[in-house]
Amino acid sequence: MIRPPDPGRGEEGTVPDLRARFRTGIEAGLRTSLQILKITVPLYVAVDLLKRTPAIGILGGAFAPVMGLFGLPGEAAFAFIAAFLLNLYAAIAILVPLRLDAFQVTQCGLMMGIAHNLVVEGGVLRSTGARGGFLTFCRLCISAATGLALHAAHRMVSG
Amino acid sequence: MMEAVAAAFLGALKLSGKLVLIIVPLVTLFELLRHLPAFRRTGDAVDPLMRGIGLTREAALPLFTGVFLGIAYGAGIIIRVAQEKRLPARELFLMGLFLATCHAVVEDTLIFVVIGGNAWIMLGVRLVLAICLTALLARLWKPRPG
Repeated sequence: MIRPPDPGRGEEGTVPDLRARFRTGIEAGLRTSLQILKITVPLYVAVDLLKRTPAIGILGGAFAPVMGLFGLPGEAAFAFIAAFLLNLYAAIAILVPLRLDAFQVTQCGLMMGIAHNLVVEGGVLRSTGARGGFLTFCRLCISAATGLALHAAHRMVSG
Repeated sequence: MMEAVAAAFLGALKLSGKLVLIIVPLVTLFELLRHLPAFRRTGDAVDPLMRGIGLTREAALPLFTGVFLGIAYGAGIIIRVAQEKRLPARELFLMGLFLATCHAVVEDTLIFVVIGGNAWIMLGVRLVLAICLTALLARLWKPRPG
């Protein structure tokens, strides 16, 4: 998700001095933050408010059987959709208002860490010459398999 | 109702603050480090490790860029090196598989740690999984001789 101020710049040729790099870094960081917050703030507020209505429970209920396989509540499905299509920042904006426990946050972090931002990253992988579409399919499978395994491990440990 | 909206915005603000505190230092650090010669010469030190997962040292720079900075951030370097070095299809796929499972490990792990996740599980599982899967595939998919 973090992007350089100008992709490819500075790969060749002159290297800017330390102070210039520091400034570029801070500026790029703030710009990236702003872009990320434009997505996370509205999503967080929307989910937090929706949680007070029955709507999210009903919608989440539809996903409960699938999410239950991973030890997660049905509502977590919305965070997965956001992670797959957008990025992890959008996903945690949805997760935080759901008040998950430590295992559930770790489970989401692991599964979403493996499979997220599939559209953009699939495109990048494809443009290197690798098979982007197939790799994206692999990511989803690996993510699901890892989630099942962690849930099983957690159940064994916690009894 | 107003209280609910205020609470929602307060929560959003808290999360935003945490994210800015991760993003700005990370981007600044990357910007400071990415010109260092040592950063570009990662190939030498990790050569044995690279061979273990079926990759040559040519793939080290794009791989490490992806693992630490992420696929989107490292896109410029990853695409450029992959094309310049003319990495073979097998190596591109192995690198892609590794990166698909495990990339941007600092950023991804930190943002889930601030909301209560376990860093060691998230980071450890992804790393071990990426290494094992890539090494396994490298053994199944032999390079063509010559």
